[in-house]
Order: sequence, then structure tokens, then C-alpha cells
Amino acid sequence: MIKPYLSVVAVLLIVLNGLLLIPATSAYTVPIALFGLLLAFFVLVLSFRAGPKATSASIAAPAPTLATLPPPVIATNQAETEIVAFFALLQDKGRLVDFLMEDLNAYDDARVGAAARVVHQGCGEVLKEYFKITSISEAEEGSQVVVPAGYVADQYRMIGKLGGDPPFAGKLVHKGWKTEYVKLPRITKTDRLPAIAPAEVEIG
Amino acid sequence: MESVAQTSELAADQVSARFSLGIDLGTSNSAVAVEDFETGRAAIVEITQLLGPNRIGEKVTLPSAIYVPHADEFPEDGLRLPWQEKGSGPIIGNFARDHGALIPDRLVTSAKSWLSNFHIDPRKPVLPWKSDIKEQKLSALECSRRYLEHMKEGFLYAERAEGRTWNITEGQIVITVPASFDEVARNLTAEAAQAAGFGKVILLEEPQAAFYAWMAQSGNDWRNQVSPGDIVLVCDVGGGTADFSLIAIAEKEGNLEVERISVGEHILLGGDNMDLALAYALNAQLEGAGKSIDRWQFLALVHAAGNAKVSLFTDLGLHQIAIAVPSRGSSLLAKTISTTLDRAMLEQIILDGFFPLTSVSDLPQESRGAGLREFGLPYAADPVVSKHLARFLRRSLTNVKASETQGALVKFQALEGEYIKPTAVLFNGGVFNAAPIRHRVLDLLASWNDGIPVRELQGFQPDLAVAKGAALYGRNRATGKGIRIKAGTARSYYIGLESTRPAIPGFKPPIKAICVVPQGMEEGSELLIDEQEFGLMTGQPADFRFFASEVRSGDLPGQIISNAERELEETSRIEVTLPAVEGFPEGQTIPVVINPMVTELGNLELWMKHTRSDRRWKLEFQLRME
Repeated sequence: MIKPYLSVVAVLLIVLNGLLLIPATSAYTVPIALFGLLLAFFVLVLSFRAGPKATSASIAAPAPTLATLPPPVIATNQAETEIVAFFALLQDKGRLVDFLMEDLNAYDDARVGAAARVVHQGCGEVLKEYFKITSISEAEEGSQVVVPAGYVADQYRMIGKLGGDPPFAGKLVHKGWKTEYVKLPRITKTDRLPAIAPAEVEIG
Repeated sequence: MESVAQTSELAADQVSARFSLGIDLGTSNSAVAVEDFETGRAAIVEITQLLGPNRIGEKVTLPSAIYVPHADEFPEDGLRLPWQEKGSGPIIGNFARDHGALIPDRLVTSAKSWLSNFHIDPRKPVLPWKSDIKEQKLSALECSRRYLEHMKEGFLYAERAEGRTWNITEGQIVITVPASFDEVARNLTAEAAQAAGFGKVILLEEPQAAFYAWMAQSGNDWRNQVSPGDIVLVCDVGGGTADFSLIAIAEKEGNLEVERISVGEHILLGGDNMDLALAYALNAQLEGAGKSIDRWQFLALVHAAGNAKVSLFTDLGLHQIAIAVPSRGSSLLAKTISTTLDRAMLEQIILDGFFPLTSVSDLPQESRGAGLREFGLPYAADPVVSKHLARFLRRSLTNVKASETQGALVKFQALEGEYIKPTAVLFNGGVFNAAPIRHRVLDLLASWNDGIPVRELQGFQPDLAVAKGAALYGRNRATGKGIRIKAGTARSYYIGLESTRPAIPGFKPPIKAICVVPQGMEEGSELLIDEQEFGLMTGQPADFRFFASEVRSGDLPGQIISNAERELEETSRIEVTLPAVEGFPEGQTIPVVINPMVTELGNLELWMKHTRSDRRWKLEFQLRME
């Protein structure tokens, strides 16, 4: 049973982690990480306070009628709606949210591997379809490279000892990724956050 | 009553067209290409479509799928396309296909094949087939109209977004149809296009479109790749259908001439069958290992099998691909089932199952049992593409030999033996993205040709060639430039004649038929079949049986075939009612002869012409129902 606040927090955590991966936010790594920690702590506290309640009390009871009221209107904006829609896409094609919401510790690597294939195949299709992802540096990782003066700041991150004036010479640790375009589906209705995955009911 | 009105069609056709639009109205996927005469721009039009409720995006293909939603199924206004006032009614394209897989009762696919299905009236709303939904069902004709309308609006929307405000009437519209479509199915396609707001369109056979695209792609190099005497097999296997044509290369006054000399039958067999076959084999493998999957997982398995097939056929170094099939529940880790597709299994199912090295005398089983009819569509009873190809090449030989002019186009060697020997192959269709499948077809043709290799034309584009070729053909027509494939009608057509023999109990006399349209009848030409006069009574509907053949290139207009049911294929009925008008009072018998014409746009029309005046009446094609 997932409590409502859990999904909100999970989405926030995912967004925060995503932000950490974007080179442009590198200046805010510490505050983002701190906020993430706080959130996690908050969830931990809540989960202890709520405690496990009656679990399977309704075996012979009739099927519960699902809520038909419209969900409460959450003030939102275009960007938030779109990020949720993007998760919906990754979930629909590659079951990403299912994967991330599960507890990996309960399973051996073979099972994790099988699930990873589903995620890899589906999310990979999404990346290929809606982005054009290429590496930033064409050099081989581990080789010596020179980052020229006037390099695009969000495309290179210097680590180790940074001083003096560019060009900077060093060892390529990660070749970097960029996308040449984004062609995500347009969301035509943005008055509330869409579902990441609808609850599915099989009839007949 | 109508009078001759041939010139009005020409107006939109050749006067001041500013662009041409090539539309590949496919069985499983459709695509649109544009050629802008003013800028020379040639491009594939990305078609705006629903990707989910409240989600729209652009894709290079529009899946030919229609989903009929339940009234409560989606949020209000969630299905609206940018060019629509409100978004209700059937969904078309990507989302329709994906969502419809989960609710198959509401999904229509392969509507195009229903146009050439003689057992179901394409104007009758029966689709989704055998579904008991309460909503209004659609006819095959209406489905085609909706796909075409979507592509028209999508094109105008995409062009407007880039500041080009075309009017659709300023375009030369070319819609491709399978070479295997007969006149009835072609006329229905043209009718759907007109109803979709395209006006008069030109129809082009898909294999020819692929050939135009190949000529354009190769630039001037195509002239080096073929030479006079060559016979090119256009081998087109798409998602749901296989379509073959032969194109002869000849020389006339120092110029290369290209002529389509033979077309195949409509074969409902394609890449989708291959993915399904793989999925069934993988399912058996899973069951052997004590695992079972439900029908939702089976859908995921078909998808995964298709992907694995592509990977193994692309990267020949791989030995196997692991396949993971999730359950539909949220527990991905506990319920994902895995198996593997290895290369030996893939080759056994795809190469040896669909493209085995059979002999050229090994023909497809023709049993069309009751079990197959249940599906509504006449799916190929025999899944072996090799055998269908053998049948096509054998029938082509019969056809080419039947006429001296066609026989003269073909080198003597090609006509020796039991089938016509192609010297080159142009592949088309997604199936041939896989090099091993192309190689297998080439091996097959070489094995029939005493080991002499048949070459593959270089520079084919398996996925979007048909739309591109159609747009290019539209440009060539509108500007009068560029090479044209000589084609004409792909079949000869016949009208059944009532027997004049005295009736004998227990004996049904054979139906005679008169040839009214010879094979290869060219655009903008007409004939008068005065060998046979018919007496039609005004006010009374008269109908005739209508037959066709794609293997009788030698039949001349007016020629009588003594046993139509044995020699020809019945395709439809044709009907005409002569209204009583001035000079032709009700109940009078009027002597008429048949006056066939092929319009400038390539559409076949049959008229009944009064023998003593210029009055004439058009015959309408009716479907033959069983």
C-alpha cells in the first residue's frame, strides 16, 4: 500500500537526482543533495509514525469502488506537467518508475538483470525516438585531451586541480553526453499533473 | 446522363501545380512526402498525431490504425488534434495502434486490405470486424478516407507551422496503391481521397513508386546499374503484405525505356507474420521451461521478438539476444520472465520458414479453408514467401508470352524455361532492412537460375521510398520532366455475356466474356468495343459480371473468352440504369456498345455509348457478394 505522500516525495527525489546529473546544476550540488537528504529523512519519520495497519481484512468483501471524484486541483505549471509526462513515457515504454519504486534488496542479480533489460530496451527506445544523444568528446576515455579556451562551460567539467588559463590539458574521465534536439510529445492540457501510470483494470 | 467531360480533370492536374504530395497509404503504416516546385525542397512530412490522451507529437509515419474510444474512456477534449474543433470520435495513428492492442475489440487495422476483399462490402460499416461495441462502426472506405484526411490536415498543419500556406488544390496529389489492386479497389481509393478533400488524385502502383525513388536516389548512376534487356523484380514485403512487380528496361532511339510488364496478386503476408511466428516459438520455449505468460505478456513478447530479430540481423556477430517479458503489474522484479532468442532459431523461423530455398515448381498451397475465412480477411494460406514468388514469376512468364510486344521487350534467355528470369532485384519494405533476408532472396533467385547470380540494385531505401517516389512522380507529371515508367492498366478486363444456348437440365453452360480493356491500355485513351452490341431498356437496371486477368497481355478489345469462370477472375459486378429522358422514353430498348476509357489520371471508366448518337452512360462497379 503506497501512501499518497510517498509518490509525491518519490517524484521529488527523482527530480532532484536528475538535477544532480545535469552539468549546469553542478554549482548547486550541495543544496540539492541536502534537500534530498531532508526529504528522505522526513519520509523515514513518517513511515515509523504511520506504522503497519490492518492489511488483508477484506478477503470476502465486495470489490471496492474506485474513487470517481476528480482529483484535487494542484496548482502547477507547464514545466512540471511536462516532466511528469516524460516520466509517464519512460514508465509506459520502459517501466522505469516501476523499477525505481521497487526494493532491489529483495531480489538476486538475475532478477534485477531481467528487469533491467525491460527498462533498458524501453527507455532506450524513448531516448532514441525523442532525443538525438551523442557524446561530447570523441576522444577515448583515459586518453589525454586539451580543452581549448572558450569551451562551452556546461559541456566540460574540470576536476582535480584547476588553475591558470585555458587551454586545459588533462585526462578524459567521462566523454560526456549531449542531445542535439528534444522532440518530446506536447502536452495539450496542463491544469493539473497527469498520472505517471494509470491504474489498470481488466474487464471481461 | 453525362457527356464527355475529360478535360475538366486536367485543369487541376497540370495547370500551375505548386507542389506535389506523395501519399503512401500503407496497410500497416502510412507516410507523406512533399516536393516543392518553387524551392526544389523534397522532404518527408512529419505527421502530427495523438501519442496519448492530451499528448501530441510528430512522427514520420502514421500507423494505419483506428481506435474507436468508449465515451467515458478519455478525459474530455483529451483527443483533440490541433486542426480539430473538438476531439471526439475515432483516434488515428500511433496512440490508436498502441492502445488498441490492449482493447482489440475497438481497433481497426489493415483496413486497406478490406478494400480488395470481395466478400465484404467496403461501404458497409463492419469494422472493427466481429466486434460487439455499441459505437458506430466504420466501413473500410471510411477508414481509408479518415487516414487520408488526417494526412491532408497533418500536411497543411506542418507546412503552415513553417510559414507555407498551401491550398491543397494547388498540389499534384499522388496516392500509391498495391500493384495487386484491381480497378474496383483503385476506384474506391480514389473515392476515399475525394471524400477526404483531395479532389482528383493520381494513383500509382507501390512497386513503381519504389522504382522512382530508387532512380532519384541513384541520380544518374541508375543508368549504369541497369541496361537494355534487364528485367527488374521489385520485391516489396511490408508489415502486412507482399507485392511483386516486374519492370523491363529497353532502349529506344538511344534512350533507356522503363516498362512495367507484370504485377502480382494481393498476398496478405508480411513482417508482422514473421514477428508473430517468432513470438509463438519463444512462447513454446517458455512453456517448455515451465513458464506461462498471459495475452498481455504475449503482446510484449511479439514486440520484444521483433526488436531481437532486428538486432540479430543487424549485428551478425551476436549469437543470441536475451528477451525479458514484464507482467502488466507494477512488480517488475518479481514477475519479469526471461528467455533467449538465438541465431539458429531465428534463421530457422525467418529464413527457412518464410524464405526457404524451395524449387521454382514448388507453389503455395491454395487451400482457403473455412478456418481462414473466420478472420474476415483472406490471409495467405501459405506463409512461404519463396513459393509466392515462384508463382508470381511463373504467371509473369505466361503473361509476357501472351503478347508479342511484351515478349519483344524481354531477352530470349529470360523466356526460356518455366518462369521469367529477373536479372536484377530492387528490394522494398521494412523486412528487407535485414541483409540476411535480402541475401536469402538473392540466393533463392540464383538457385532457380542455374546458380547464375541475380544482382541487387544498390541504394534502396526500404522504409519511406514509396512516399518519396510518389511525390517525385507527381513532380515529373506536373512539370513534364523526368523519365516515366510505361505502365497502362495492369490487367485486362472482361464483361460476362449471357449464354444464348438452349438450356439443358443439369448442365450449366460456361459463361462467355468479351474483352473490353486490354492490358496496358494507356492514360488518356479510349476505345469503342463495337464487336458486341447490347440492348438496354431505359428505367431498368442492367448489371453485368466483370472479370479481370493479370496474365493475358495478348487479348485484344472485343475478343471473346469462351469460359470466363475458368480463364479469368471475377472481381465485381457492374451496373447501369439508363434513365428515361427526352428521346429515350421509359421501357424502350436502346442499342449501346461499350466505351472504355482510361482518364488522364489513370482511372478506368466504363461507359455504354448509344450506337446512333454521342449519348453515353457510365457503368458503376458493384461489389460481388457471396
